[in-house]
Amino acid sequence: MKPPRSNPSTARGARPTIDSARKIPPESDAMIQLHDVVKTFSNAAGEFTVLKGLDLKIKRGEFVSIVGKSGSGKSTLLNMVTGIDHPSDGQVVVNDVDIYTNFTESQRSKWRGRNLGIVFQFFQLLPMLTLLENVMLPMDYVDMYDFNKRPERAMDLLKLVGLEKFANKLPVLVSTGQQQLAAIARAMACDPPLLVADEPTGNLDTRSADTIIQLFETFVSQGKTIVLVTHDPSITSRTHRNIIISDGELIDETISRALPLLRHRHMLEFTKLVEERVYRPHETIIPRDQHVDYFFMIRKGGVEVILQGKKKDHIVSRLGENEFFGEMELLRGGKSIANVRAGGQPVEVLALPRADFIRVMNESPITAEALGKIVQKRLEEHQIADYRR
Amino acid sequence: MRPRWIKVFHDLWDNKARTLLVVFSIAVGVFSIGVIAGAYQIISNDMSISYAANQPANVELRTVGFNQDVLGSIQNTHGVLDAEARRVFNMRVRVAGTEKWTTLDMVAFEDFEANTVNLLTALQGDVIPKKREVVLERDALNHVDVQVGNVLEFQLQDGSTKTMPVVGVVQDTAMGAGDFLASPYAYVSMSSLQYLRQPELFNRAYVTVETGGDDIRHIRVIGADLKDKLEKNGTRVIRTRFSETYEHPLASTVNAILGILMALGILIVFLSSSLIANTLSALLNQHLRHIGVIKLVGGRKRQIFEMYLVLIMSFAALALLITVPLGGQGAYGLALFISSELNFNVLGYRIVPMALLIQVAVGLMVPLIAGLSPVISGSRITVLRALSGDLTGDESQPQGQQQTRVSWLDRMLIRLTRILASRGIHFPRPFIISLRNTFRRRGRLILTLFTLTMGGAIFIAVFNVRATLHAYIGSIGKYFVADVTLDFDQPYRLREIEQMVMQVNGVVGMEGWQFVSGELLDVNGEVLENINIFGPPADSVLIEPLLVKGRWIHADDVRKLALSEAAYGYFPNIEPGDQVTLKIDGREEDWEVIGIFKFVDREGVLAYAPYEYISQMNNLANRSYSFRLITENHERSYQNAKAEELDKFFRERGFKVRVAQAGRATLDTAVESLDTLVVFLLIMAILTAVVGAMGLTGTMGMNVLERTREIGITRAIGADDRAVMSMVISEGLVIGAISFVLAIILSIPFTYLLSTIVSLAVFETPIDVIYTFMGYVIWFGLVLVLSVVASILPARNAARLTIREVLAYE
Repeated sequence: MKPPRSNPSTARGARPTIDSARKIPPESDAMIQLHDVVKTFSNAAGEFTVLKGLDLKIKRGEFVSIVGKSGSGKSTLLNMVTGIDHPSDGQVVVNDVDIYTNFTESQRSKWRGRNLGIVFQFFQLLPMLTLLENVMLPMDYVDMYDFNKRPERAMDLLKLVGLEKFANKLPVLVSTGQQQLAAIARAMACDPPLLVADEPTGNLDTRSADTIIQLFETFVSQGKTIVLVTHDPSITSRTHRNIIISDGELIDETISRALPLLRHRHMLEFTKLVEERVYRPHETIIPRDQHVDYFFMIRKGGVEVILQGKKKDHIVSRLGENEFFGEMELLRGGKSIANVRAGGQPVEVLALPRADFIRVMNESPITAEALGKIVQKRLEEHQIADYRR
Repeated sequence: MRPRWIKVFHDLWDNKARTLLVVFSIAVGVFSIGVIAGAYQIISNDMSISYAANQPANVELRTVGFNQDVLGSIQNTHGVLDAEARRVFNMRVRVAGTEKWTTLDMVAFEDFEANTVNLLTALQGDVIPKKREVVLERDALNHVDVQVGNVLEFQLQDGSTKTMPVVGVVQDTAMGAGDFLASPYAYVSMSSLQYLRQPELFNRAYVTVETGGDDIRHIRVIGADLKDKLEKNGTRVIRTRFSETYEHPLASTVNAILGILMALGILIVFLSSSLIANTLSALLNQHLRHIGVIKLVGGRKRQIFEMYLVLIMSFAALALLITVPLGGQGAYGLALFISSELNFNVLGYRIVPMALLIQVAVGLMVPLIAGLSPVISGSRITVLRALSGDLTGDESQPQGQQQTRVSWLDRMLIRLTRILASRGIHFPRPFIISLRNTFRRRGRLILTLFTLTMGGAIFIAVFNVRATLHAYIGSIGKYFVADVTLDFDQPYRLREIEQMVMQVNGVVGMEGWQFVSGELLDVNGEVLENINIFGPPADSVLIEPLLVKGRWIHADDVRKLALSEAAYGYFPNIEPGDQVTLKIDGREEDWEVIGIFKFVDREGVLAYAPYEYISQMNNLANRSYSFRLITENHERSYQNAKAEELDKFFRERGFKVRVAQAGRATLDTAVESLDTLVVFLLIMAILTAVVGAMGLTGTMGMNVLERTREIGITRAIGADDRAVMSMVISEGLVIGAISFVLAIILSIPFTYLLSTIVSLAVFETPIDVIYTFMGYVIWFGLVLVLSVVASILPARNAARLTIREVLAYE
């Protein structure tokens, strides 16, 4: 459903569009790009940096969740993307527009109305307008669609979210779930390519939350990009990507996926400590019977775990992206029992020094226990016992 | 200091803009009431004292010429304390070397040093003019651009001029008092009369009575005795005026006007109290979280109540600190202005204890009363609600368990929008927001509408009153339809003057009028009041009387007259057909009343009788002193030009012209005097409008503050600065427009009330109310401008809000 924009010659916003005025050359398929974004707040106690040089890229059509503890900076990050707040340093490019260069707050509002829809945790429908009027409002503000066509489009959107019967009701007269659905319809009013949601299901029951996530999935299937902040694991599991922010810094996604039970601060520590390595196809990463000094997480490509049999070597398992290896030796001690080498393609791995891994595992018994179970499981799966013991 | 009092201090000090708004809200009302109460006290006290201090004459006799002997006879009359004689005549003057002529009433004194009645007060230069010198009354300086030391040219009857230097300026508070229409005065010594070709005879006597200076009946009796005495001696008395010693002739008018101002002042106090109530209520709303926290840590209801009470009293004290001295200065300024307009003196700057008391009482009580309700409800709030952040207090969105109910007004507005939409009429949603936002805080809306509506209604009413007064003056002007009035010092034949005037280009008609004066007597033969009888031709086209009862004069009427409404003051039940007793030329006569008409007459009762009869009475058949001319153009400037031309024309031909005056001159002077009054009213109306606008600014500011989140949401979904500002300003305009509609309705009773009070004070008769669209149009424009101006600051604040603040609310 592509929106026919109102006639540029008659539309109120018919001046050279702010979008084109600040358009930067499109970088492949990126919807959102953050380059070294810093946000510092000042108060009586002094300055504190909430975002510490973030780099982030979200592709068009991606369904991305952002998670983080309270105060981690996720809302600030979202504000950077939506143009709600201003970075202290760095560049934010959304839909190929550098939204903080030569943009006034007012111009940014108009740009926002056309380019992204925002869904709030507390719905934020205007209480004096009916649901239908709430959905029409953004079209009025950014002057999209013919004036007389707006009610029809708004009604279509309400039908899409199943609220056509409540179109002429005030928000106060419908349930919270319905209010959020109406808020989603409003966010989609101007058919923006990007939808940003701040804990959209945080205030809803499970059923309503599920309806909303299904709607999001529908939009994503139609090519929309959706970025949402959430605490709900059932939602993060349904997104394409899960970006974790901790203490104003992004956690490497490979680490967060490989070790999801790790505390965020440890993930962040790992993010800072790991070194990136690239191995050629079939290049040995961990040789057999050697001391292992690193914990490895696979970022790209795959590795093969090869055991020396009595007669010949054989591949006992193949590990792919976001999986890890080296943990057995580090957790259990001793030398490596298998040879780990790159697969048929070059492989990118993150290598964490032994001492740091051991220290963090000691501090994070839950992760250590989970890893122990994985070790056990791997051993059982391969039906191999450590013959050295 | 205990922490809670430290908090109160911080509440007062930290948000200076809010403190200023509250203090200013209180100050406006206290200042207004202080100024008016103070001025009222000063004027009502000083007006009579200052008037009496100048030994005002109780009786003024206007006569044909008399000499020192007659004056002696007056002085020797029983009951007379003192008497002075003067010669009063008018002359046209101009500053030597300039073109513009101005008519001055010249007053010739025999002996300035022996001045004991109607005392002159020296202001500048010499107060005793020598021969061929002139002293001006200070009001004359407003009409003639002259300084002490300059030379004035005086035009004589033959058109030639004489010059005299201005040697001083004096104030004469008694002579012109009570006469709005008096010309400015100039004073010369009798020794200059010959130089000015005036007879060395007196024509006015100013008399003070021995006792009973404040008994008008007694004064009238003495006056009637004096008149009899003079007329028996062959000195014809043209007119008499009576005044009390301690009652300024305009006292009742001024008191009535001050009464109106006082009423408006009280109204402003009311309006400002609604402003205070709104502001304090918003302040308490902002403090709900603080109250919640205080209660959470053990604060009791009473302690919170005390804290906010002290806060309110601090606001009040600050307001008083500003307004008490300012109000005192303002009161003195207003009194000074009125005194200079009415030519009396105030007795210097002073604090008026009563005004001070009123200010303190209003300054403390009004905020207390206005703030009591929000403070009580604020102190009673539960911790849960206080901390829940439920700050919007949206009256149209019920809280808690009632959340599913929508008010009838919201339902109606939604239904209306739907009905219009179904007919293809769609309103832009941003405007719908403004429209519906208007009705969300109904209590606040009502208070705001109250202030704006009152301001508007008074503003409109003042214009209607102005139109009413002008219309009345206009209708009074129908008694003076003539374009030029030509008065001579001796009678001339009608035919002769007619032949002459018709030679003057532009003159198309002429009537000769006559005049006779007498006294109106009661059943016991006691003098009630002067009566002046005009004698126009019965078929005069130069008079269109406003008859209340009966009929107008006929040519064959003998001893029949039409009386002005002023007669009701003495004969409340008088009807056409009744007889009244008049004393004319010392003879008592019964005249039949044929009609009663409306007129303004502050100097006694006026009457009309036909020229045909009056000319016989005066033995001046077919002759007259006074002629009324009609010109082909009725503009004031044309009338002035013709008056000047006729003056010159007759003087050159040897006629004894007394004065040639434009017909509208008298009327315009009267209109100017009334306009001064209207300006007073307008100032008050503007003050109420300012209070209204302040109320609107406060309301819009509070609305914006409370709707920060919603404004942020509109920002988030695409509203740019213009859209946000439009939303706020539109709401202001909607409120302004509603107040305008209400003001239209309310202006009707206000117009009636104000018109009646003013007309009773000024004309001593109720007059028909006239409505003018001007007040409505101007107020409509003004209220829209005020609404926009009042909303701009809150709108700018709204546009500056970032959505981050929205998220901060969550």
